[in-house]
Amino acid sequence: MIKKLFKNIFLQEAYFWLTCPALLWEICFLYLPVLVLALYSILDYSSGSTAIHLTFEHYQKIFNSLYFKIILNSCVLAIVTATICLFIAYPVAYFLAFKVNKRFRIFLLFLIIIPSWTSLIVQIYAWFFLLEKNGLVSQLLSTLGLFSDSHHLLNNYFSIIVGMVSCFLPFMIFPIYAILERMDKQLLEVSADLGASRYETFKRVVFPLSLPGVYAGVLLVFIPALGEFAIPTLLGGSKRVFWGSIIVDKFLRSRDWRSGAALAIIGILFPALIGLLIYLFNKSINYFKRDKIKIDKTKKAKDNWDFTESNI
Amino acid sequence: MVESRSIIAKILQPLFVCFTYLFLYLPIITMVLFSFNNSSVSMKWEGFSLRWYRQLFKTPEIINALQTSLIVAFCATILSVLLGLWLILGSRTWKSYFPFNLFYTNIILPEIVLAIGLLSIFTFFRISLGYISLITGHTIIGLGYVVPILRARFTELDPVLTEASLDLGASYFQTVRKILLPLLMPSLVASALLVFTLSLDDFLIAFFCVGPKVQTLSVYVYSMVRTGVDPTINAISAIFLSLSSLVMLILCFLNVLDQVISHE
Repeated sequence: MIKKLFKNIFLQEAYFWLTCPALLWEICFLYLPVLVLALYSILDYSSGSTAIHLTFEHYQKIFNSLYFKIILNSCVLAIVTATICLFIAYPVAYFLAFKVNKRFRIFLLFLIIIPSWTSLIVQIYAWFFLLEKNGLVSQLLSTLGLFSDSHHLLNNYFSIIVGMVSCFLPFMIFPIYAILERMDKQLLEVSADLGASRYETFKRVVFPLSLPGVYAGVLLVFIPALGEFAIPTLLGGSKRVFWGSIIVDKFLRSRDWRSGAALAIIGILFPALIGLLIYLFNKSINYFKRDKIKIDKTKKAKDNWDFTESNI
Repeated sequence: MVESRSIIAKILQPLFVCFTYLFLYLPIITMVLFSFNNSSVSMKWEGFSLRWYRQLFKTPEIINALQTSLIVAFCATILSVLLGLWLILGSRTWKSYFPFNLFYTNIILPEIVLAIGLLSIFTFFRISLGYISLITGHTIIGLGYVVPILRARFTELDPVLTEASLDLGASYFQTVRKILLPLLMPSLVASALLVFTLSLDDFLIAFFCVGPKVQTLSVYVYSMVRTGVDPTINAISAIFLSLSSLVMLILCFLNVLDQVISHE
């Protein structure tokens, strides 16, 4: 195996060295930093000497304190954001893929991409501008008589969610749209021909086929939402603390790098663990389902048979 | 029953989509509108003026920050496109996907972890923060997009073309220059523009790795937003917005939009 790889790389391909810079760059500046973080979090100097020893003190500190709750809160925020994004993005992607002619579709896509390619800070500032104390929304609401005076609409959970959803929505729309657009449209006709209603076609054909896009979108929204720092800080005020903001605090203000590194590592491992659990859960469910489907099929075949017989 | 369903399809669905677009665009549009406002109180309209734009170009910090951002974005773009292109060209005969899958980590890893990782190795090796650390980080982010886009295009190409050219006596370098590069050009341009905007817009890596001496535009805007609303930020934001729309328009004309979307 190794010999074959060696042969492949060094003998057959004379230009293998072209790949070295990119791979080296990747290893040096992506994998090495994460490794260094991991080492930072578990190694420490013993007090009084220069010898390095292994310690899980920083992890213990995190699990015993408020920090763990903060990480959980961040996960909840990311899940809520991803869910809302999914419920908004799916109908939009469906509409774009199936209901609009080609010219107009490109224009609409263009309109979705522009905000996603604009700086995150600019988008956050736009919401900040809209929701601030004398901003447009609060003025509008007070002229409608909902508020007696101009109200601060920032610094609450709602404003964080609004900011998160509007910033991450395009990343949910793209993958779903991409997969719906590539779907064979004849499948819909076939399904309709076979007597399925529109809802049934959606449930049994369109949605299952679009699942890879949904997964990709959830991933693309959940991960950046988990580590998001700027949105909760600017729109949520300083009272609401999330995972990103404690890491910033540990690294840039209190200079407690080792617990900061431990927090970062937990922040990577935690979603990975959840993902693994979901994956395993799905696998086991599929395993049980397979048996059930078999039984269903035989039963249905029998029913059909009875039906045709009685017809005759 | 059938009628009510068709009403839902005909009216409610477009309405929902309209609301979504409104949700995405309402803040941006008001922000851009008020960047032309002549009043220093942010929410009172007192007529059209370009005074905030003029003030923008009179502030040396903003000009410096813009300069830094552009230099960093330019270097990161060139570096990541070159590295990505070399990787793709050098690995022509590789069968394994593993080296390419390595680059998906760049997108999957939370950016904040990458940022603090870079910060810790740069301080570990005593390299002073600034342009070098910024360009390094942005190149990593860029590679995560460049490699999959180029790889997808490269696998779409007919390998017979390369083999024929090599058979006919051209060196690999000549083949690359005359055959592969022209075929890869649309994806190269698309990924370069993508990396350029990503680098220009990036906030988290800049926030950690910028160091005390330099400042990028997004970090500058962040520090200004923390102190409150200011019409000059509206003006900067409008410029940001028009830059990214311009890039999008170029991509539209190059007909490579679909590629970018499917790899986003």
